[in-house]
Amino acid sequence: MSELGVLQAVRLKGRVSRDDLAATLGGDFVDVVDQLVGSGLLLDGPTLRLSPEGRRRLEGLLADERSHVDTAAVLAAYGEFRSVNAEFKALVTDWQLKDGQPNTHEDAGYDAAVLARLDDVHRRVTPTIAAVATQLPRLSRYSVKLQTALDNIHAGQTMWLARPLIDSYHTVWFELHEELILAAGLTRETDDA
Amino acid sequence: MSTRPVILLDGDASSPPDVLGHKGHGIDMMRRNGLPVPPAFCITTEVGVRYRAEPEATINAIWDDVLAGMRTLEAATSRTFGRGPHPLLVSVRSGAAVSMPGMMDTLLDLGFSDDVEKALAAEGSAEFARDSRRRFAEPYQRIVTRPAPDDPYQQLGAAIESVFTSWDSPRAVAYRAHHGLDDSDGTAVVVQAMVFGNINANSGAGVVFSRNPMTGANEEFGEWLPGGQGDDVVSGTVDVEPIAALRSGQPDVYDQLISAASSLERLSADVQEVEFTIQDGALWLLQTRAAKRSAQAAVRLALQLLDEGLIDEAETLRRIAPTHVEALLQPSLQPETRMAAQLLATGLPAGPGVASGRAYTEVDAAIDAADRGEDVILVRNHTSPDDIHGMLVARGIVTETGGATSHAAVVSRELGRAAVVGCGGGVAESLAGKVVTVDGNHGEVREGSLQLSAWSEDNTPELRELADIARRVSPLRAHARGDYPRLDRHTEAEVRSAMASGHSDVVSASPLLAMLAAIRLSGVS
Repeated sequence: MSELGVLQAVRLKGRVSRDDLAATLGGDFVDVVDQLVGSGLLLDGPTLRLSPEGRRRLEGLLADERSHVDTAAVLAAYGEFRSVNAEFKALVTDWQLKDGQPNTHEDAGYDAAVLARLDDVHRRVTPTIAAVATQLPRLSRYSVKLQTALDNIHAGQTMWLARPLIDSYHTVWFELHEELILAAGLTRETDDA
Repeated sequence: MSTRPVILLDGDASSPPDVLGHKGHGIDMMRRNGLPVPPAFCITTEVGVRYRAEPEATINAIWDDVLAGMRTLEAATSRTFGRGPHPLLVSVRSGAAVSMPGMMDTLLDLGFSDDVEKALAAEGSAEFARDSRRRFAEPYQRIVTRPAPDDPYQQLGAAIESVFTSWDSPRAVAYRAHHGLDDSDGTAVVVQAMVFGNINANSGAGVVFSRNPMTGANEEFGEWLPGGQGDDVVSGTVDVEPIAALRSGQPDVYDQLISAASSLERLSADVQEVEFTIQDGALWLLQTRAAKRSAQAAVRLALQLLDEGLIDEAETLRRIAPTHVEALLQPSLQPETRMAAQLLATGLPAGPGVASGRAYTEVDAAIDAADRGEDVILVRNHTSPDDIHGMLVARGIVTETGGATSHAAVVSRELGRAAVVGCGGGVAESLAGKVVTVDGNHGEVREGSLQLSAWSEDNTPELRELADIARRVSPLRAHARGDYPRLDRHTEAEVRSAMASGHSDVVSASPLLAMLAAIRLSGVS
């Protein structure tokens, strides 16, 4: 795992334990992490955090990564992502709220209908990630994490749809969205939230 | 077809709301009582039902009647549709038998062409004509999903079809499902001569309530937008003024409006929400309906109307849903508390609940403050994934950008945090450091740490009064104490079994709720 991958994961999580970091990266990168702590780019403790130097270093690495991609291809992929993004966020909202009130999850038919839409979202986002991964191979990891969350949801563990702090479908999606905005050279101020 | 497909709403329509639609019925009722309403006709709900099965044949079959209706509007206004020095513009609105506010489509200012715009510019001003054309063309393109044609009658036909079709829009279907309304009906369409709040400084639009629908106080309440149109007032995108601004600006018109609102209240025996337009100093009423109201207002207004002899005791209880009482028994931000605190920001309600604390705009500062034991409100321009740690320590969340399905909204709901999103640029800066209350139910941020409180059946006079009434009306009298069998819960099943056992009096922890259930079961009201 590259320095960039680790720093970016810590940035997206904000504060993250070594175990959770390993889980999201898909492997124990103790050497890289220790090295980053040693050089002062990561702050150690119960959770890891970026130091101001680490944040600057990450921004440099991301800028370098961006300079090697075909921006038009990334923008095209981002355009496709945005259209499925709207459906995904509506789906999660429908999962959380029913008729404007918190969903009590007592209506199994309603819940099943909402979750069925996730399969379609997943089918649509997978080729988009594949397309952007031809430019940024690092991002193919998001497909794996989305699939894992989806498998857990299919197994009945619906907290994997939207719960924060675990790599739920929404957590991974939110981070992917952030990656795509950055890769396309946009900011959230100019984009939707 | 049991009635005429097109019915003039001249006060003599003499058809029920399920034919005319709720809106059309209200317009006809206002005309019958001599109130100033722009001339209008309606295409009945029966046509709306037929349209859903056979769109083209249905429109063709009624088109001559629609044209005849247009001739009537032309005669009544001394204006001509789509031509002439005094062109007539019309609105085309949905109107189901039961009001479904905001669920179906409305098109305004139909009848434009280049010549019409010139004529209107000559009558009013170039700015007025341009503004009206914009109000016509943009929604038309969005709703009909193609640019407006130059032919006014094509505009009219497409608008009518769009409104009929909007009966089956996903939001309308969801609304009916939620409210248990019949899906197999259809909407009526109301075609009405336009009046213009945007024509000059002596004009405007607004909505007035015959009593305060939030607190239930017996006082006029409403919003007024000088120089605007009704769609601006409803959209929530423009800053409107309180209705008192109209009283100081145009006192005579204000008096006329308030008198109309109170006479509509008497005629319908319920608190009314009336949309109005003032065109060059002349008052026009566009529609009236029973006001949407808070649970607090539902109780207070029903008791006031009873006290004034407008409704009887059984009807008073019918006006109170058990969900109203249940909501009142939960701690909440009371409307009078809410209205007394200064409004600092408004946005979209994204996470239900109310929370107070000091506003922080940086995640690390929010975490430090929470570590010190402070109640924290996190205010961000937008939220990034790593903001989660700030959201975790916050009691409430506010964002400048983003909608009700934004990532911030999703995460707030997942964490159970009160959240208001999309408050607009500059809000983070203006709130930073202040103690505020985030009202995630109404989409507001207000100044100060506002306390929640609950009503109780024992101590709140309004609920005691309702319980006294219920004991006179209900087949099962429920008491807070006394030597009677005990009702463990106020569910329908428990109440039914108590009544089946022949009990006439029981003791209950929630006597009022128990009696409301009993009244519903017995069909007394």
